[in-house]
Amino acid sequence: MIFGVIEMRSPGRVSLLFTKSSTKLKYILRRTGLGLCLAMTSLLTSCDDLFQYNPNEETLLEKERNLTAKNIERITQLSVSDTTRFILMGDSQRWYDECEEFVKSANQQKDISFVLHAGDISDFGLTQEFKWVNEIMTRLKYPYVTVIGNHDIVANGSATYRKMFGPLNYSFGFGHDRFIFINTNSREYAFDGSVPDIAWLKSQLADNPAKLNTIVVGHVPPFDADFDKNLEKPYTEALAGDPNVKFTLYGHQHRFYEGQFYDDGVNYHLTTSMGARGYMVITTWKGGYKVERVEF
Amino acid sequence: MKKYFLSLFLLVSLHSQAQEVGLNARRKWFLPDHLKLQFAGNIGFLSGGPGYASRNQTLETDLLFGFLPQKFGGDALVTTTLKTTYSPWRIGLRNNYYIRPFSIGAYLSYTFGPQFDSKWPSYYPAGYYWWATSIRPGAYIGGKAGRNVVLNNHRRSLELYYELGTYDLLMISYIQNKGFLKLHDIVSLSIGVKYGFD
Repeated sequence: MIFGVIEMRSPGRVSLLFTKSSTKLKYILRRTGLGLCLAMTSLLTSCDDLFQYNPNEETLLEKERNLTAKNIERITQLSVSDTTRFILMGDSQRWYDECEEFVKSANQQKDISFVLHAGDISDFGLTQEFKWVNEIMTRLKYPYVTVIGNHDIVANGSATYRKMFGPLNYSFGFGHDRFIFINTNSREYAFDGSVPDIAWLKSQLADNPAKLNTIVVGHVPPFDADFDKNLEKPYTEALAGDPNVKFTLYGHQHRFYEGQFYDDGVNYHLTTSMGARGYMVITTWKGGYKVERVEF
Repeated sequence: MKKYFLSLFLLVSLHSQAQEVGLNARRKWFLPDHLKLQFAGNIGFLSGGPGYASRNQTLETDLLFGFLPQKFGGDALVTTTLKTTYSPWRIGLRNNYYIRPFSIGAYLSYTFGPQFDSKWPSYYPAGYYWWATSIRPGAYIGGKAGRNVVLNNHRRSLELYYELGTYDLLMISYIQNKGFLKLHDIVSLSIGVKYGFD
């Protein structure tokens, strides 16, 4: 806007420069200056990203901030029934065209309450990428919530994630289910033992007085090389030790993959990437659940 | 912001009123041929620094130091940029004004900060991430208009330029997503001023 103010003044200034020039030239410059002013103002108001200062800048509009809290607020206002249906998708990184196709496909599903993004929202950790994916995901008929992926931590990615979505570990309840989102991208923290935060996970699992079905959602599954080997056992045992945990959800490997990999009663489900054009529809009810693969 | 532009315009008007007399002395070869100050362009909110020009003035190479305050960028970022611009055509106008209608150029910028890597740490397998987060190559097209003036018996020039540019990571994103991304999504505008010691 400030730039617009300057342009408003520029016709006067420009004429100062041409004190030796003819009055006709002055007249033309005044007219073009006015035109330029109008063109610039309209360009500025129509385009948020006309000027970019650094690939790693973290500039966000108000509607692009605190999306996790805003979307959980929308989810809690949805009506609850005996069954809950939601979508698990992930790895939208640099697959914008495919992600648009996903939104079209997801909007045709019946009785979906919300969408879970399993991480790797961005590819390079750039704010611009987060904004593009959010632009696509807001075309969903449903609210969406995310878990952070390893690519979302690169460069200023995790700082942008905090501003745009919210905490890296969080939880919320809906109907018979409770969702715990946890940062499992150990490699991004040099396997320093801090990620995933096992103590936080245990406290979240323990804080379940209503004995809700608990669904832990992460990006990197515990059997992946990017998960801290020293924390694999504490993590999987924490899940297996909780009778309310029947299954747990991940992305990262860009393939559909599922099984009871630790023979401990907990089913692990991985959704594929947007590039592989697939997602999962998950239905839960008291005492059971169903996972369907969808290709688009 | 406003202050910068006002002083810029004042500078322009000051120079245009200078008397056109005198000669220039031969300058030392190592002194820069010009100074630039640039707004935006993914190398800082404001960036500035010295540069050299080829003898026929078509090729310019600059070393710019850029700063992005937290207020405008969400994070305070410092960059250095090496940039080369080729402006093949010059159209002379009355009163020593001229236009270089077309410029094309490229840059390599480095952003400082512990969160940015040039070489990925050893806890990543080789090629885990293929790009460096601290170094960004970019390219642009643009144009400029200027005037040759004589100030205190020295030949000087003042130019205003604009550039429409993008960088590697956005280009790749665009090439692979031509449905969702439009050219204007990856291109941004920068404007600058050059003060030349010819």
